[in-house]
Amino acid sequence: MTERIQQLISIATQLRRDVVNTVYAAKDGHPGACMSAADIVAALYFDTMHIHPDDKDWMGRDRFILSKGHACPILYAALARRGYFPPAELKTLRSLGSRLQGHPVMGKTPGVDATSGSLGHGLSQGCGLALTARRRGDNSLTFVLTGDGEIEEGIVWEAAMTIPKFKLSNLIAIVDNNEMQSGGHVNEVGGLYPLREKWEAFGWYVVEIDGHDMAQIVTTLENAAVRGRTPIDESANMTVTSLQPTPQPGQPVVIIAHTVKGKGVPYMEGDNSWHKRVPTDEEYQIAMSILGGKDLE
Amino acid sequence: MNKIESTRVGFMQGLDAIAETDDRIIMVCADSLKAMRAESFFEKYPDRLVDVGIAEQNAAATAAGLAIGGLIPYFATYAGFITMRACEQVRTFIAYPGLNVKLVGINGGIAAGEREGVTHQFFEDIGILRTIPNMTILVPADAGQARQAAIAAASISGPVYIRLGSGRDPVIFDHDTPFVLGKINILHQNGNDIALFGNGIMLLRLMEASALLAQRGIGVTLVEVHTVKPLDTEGVAAVLKNCGAAVVAEDHNIIGGLGSAIMEAAAEHVPVPIARIGLRDVFPSSGTPDALLDYYGMSVNDIVEAALNVIARK
Repeated sequence: MTERIQQLISIATQLRRDVVNTVYAAKDGHPGACMSAADIVAALYFDTMHIHPDDKDWMGRDRFILSKGHACPILYAALARRGYFPPAELKTLRSLGSRLQGHPVMGKTPGVDATSGSLGHGLSQGCGLALTARRRGDNSLTFVLTGDGEIEEGIVWEAAMTIPKFKLSNLIAIVDNNEMQSGGHVNEVGGLYPLREKWEAFGWYVVEIDGHDMAQIVTTLENAAVRGRTPIDESANMTVTSLQPTPQPGQPVVIIAHTVKGKGVPYMEGDNSWHKRVPTDEEYQIAMSILGGKDLE
Repeated sequence: MNKIESTRVGFMQGLDAIAETDDRIIMVCADSLKAMRAESFFEKYPDRLVDVGIAEQNAAATAAGLAIGGLIPYFATYAGFITMRACEQVRTFIAYPGLNVKLVGINGGIAAGEREGVTHQFFEDIGILRTIPNMTILVPADAGQARQAAIAAASISGPVYIRLGSGRDPVIFDHDTPFVLGKINILHQNGNDIALFGNGIMLLRLMEASALLAQRGIGVTLVEVHTVKPLDTEGVAAVLKNCGAAVVAEDHNIIGGLGSAIMEAAAEHVPVPIARIGLRDVFPSSGTPDALLDYYGMSVNDIVEAALNVIARK
């Protein structure tokens, strides 16, 4: 394992610790959904994305839309550790007057690129953002992380239909496929599966990965990013078939990341009550001892 | 008979004019290009159109993304598909972050929806949007004002809703009549027995009613309120104070629209008797525009009668 991957793994662990600290301090939040996304978010903010926290409004930056906005403690942790605001501020989550709202709001929290939290809207907003990047002619990327339960929302498939039409290979979608939503298993609650075939039928190139294998995450994101930053011939015809070995020019990529809700804190893994739950003092201490790392001050 | 000119065409002329000087202007459609009479705009600016197909929620949220990326999108389609089907997208993803998205709703009112019937007659749009913070609401009266509203909307940094008609809209004003955002427009002041407020197509009927009232020796102050939100409360209050009674006429449900806005302002600042002319909280039907307005309580005589009644209550 390379040093870079080792570093990213320890960053992801730190972000998980920050999430537990944040939710424990706020006495509210959705830790399970944060934990399944932690490795992906760490890879994006500390490896893949071209961003300058000291010039946060730089128009040519890569953007990240956390479409599953309820997992915002993991986004806030990444932003804080990346230098957008002091980590100590994470403890103000969901409190009156805080810049850290219960769900992400652009313009309120430094580094948040889009408002989210009402599920299903990341891809459409990402479509608009990717169109503006294409229009500017820069090579910036838009990453959209959706939940799996979230994509039961109809608007997701409206956007899934139009993004390939616009050949927005500069938009990279990631599904955090942790298989659980508030009410239970995604297939029992929403009839989600088969998932890969749905995306393929809508014209996307699908890559499936282990969403907790950092090397695999980094390589997959890197490949998609290199492709996304390459200008395309917009007039070329795009033929989409589900069996093609490589993405066609302009074809958007969706990464289905197989994940575990609550990943990294053993008592949370596989226990869907952690969808929205605050650790007790004892549970908090256990999590801290498992995760190690720095505190928020 | 008034000359007929399309408010949609008027709007597109305005959009064309600002697109020439501002390359951030972009139009978002939900297969509404033809309905918006936007074909020639698209020919002139092929890269200034984002058509997402028949998917208004997606269109609204895509417009949000375009605005985040620094453009000024005008999302235009049927009023109800923006304000009802895509209401949450408008509220949470456009208005809440205060994004610079313009929303353009056609078939605003029952006359504008006319023969299509209730599915395409939108008489709730103003009421719905008035409750959403950060929203500016404009109701241009005719094609000329629609052109000016398209241009004026770009001068506001934030969400604006522009309500348009059927495409067969009577001309009410000279094209060079000024359109001053956020201010009431006093059309005439023949006296101060009663104030008549209104906007959109109902201005024609208010003008006729004003002439009939004048024949009876009643002095009318006739006021256009094209900016419904933010309401020019000071201007409205001054007129109410001067006249002591008012009728408000609009092609909208009497709940939630201009009538409600003026009554709210009156109750807080100048409590005087006011009558509302509008759709009386029922679902209308297909029909020709004038027949619909007459049938659903928005005739010239309805306005005159309402005026006499409120004057008697002074």
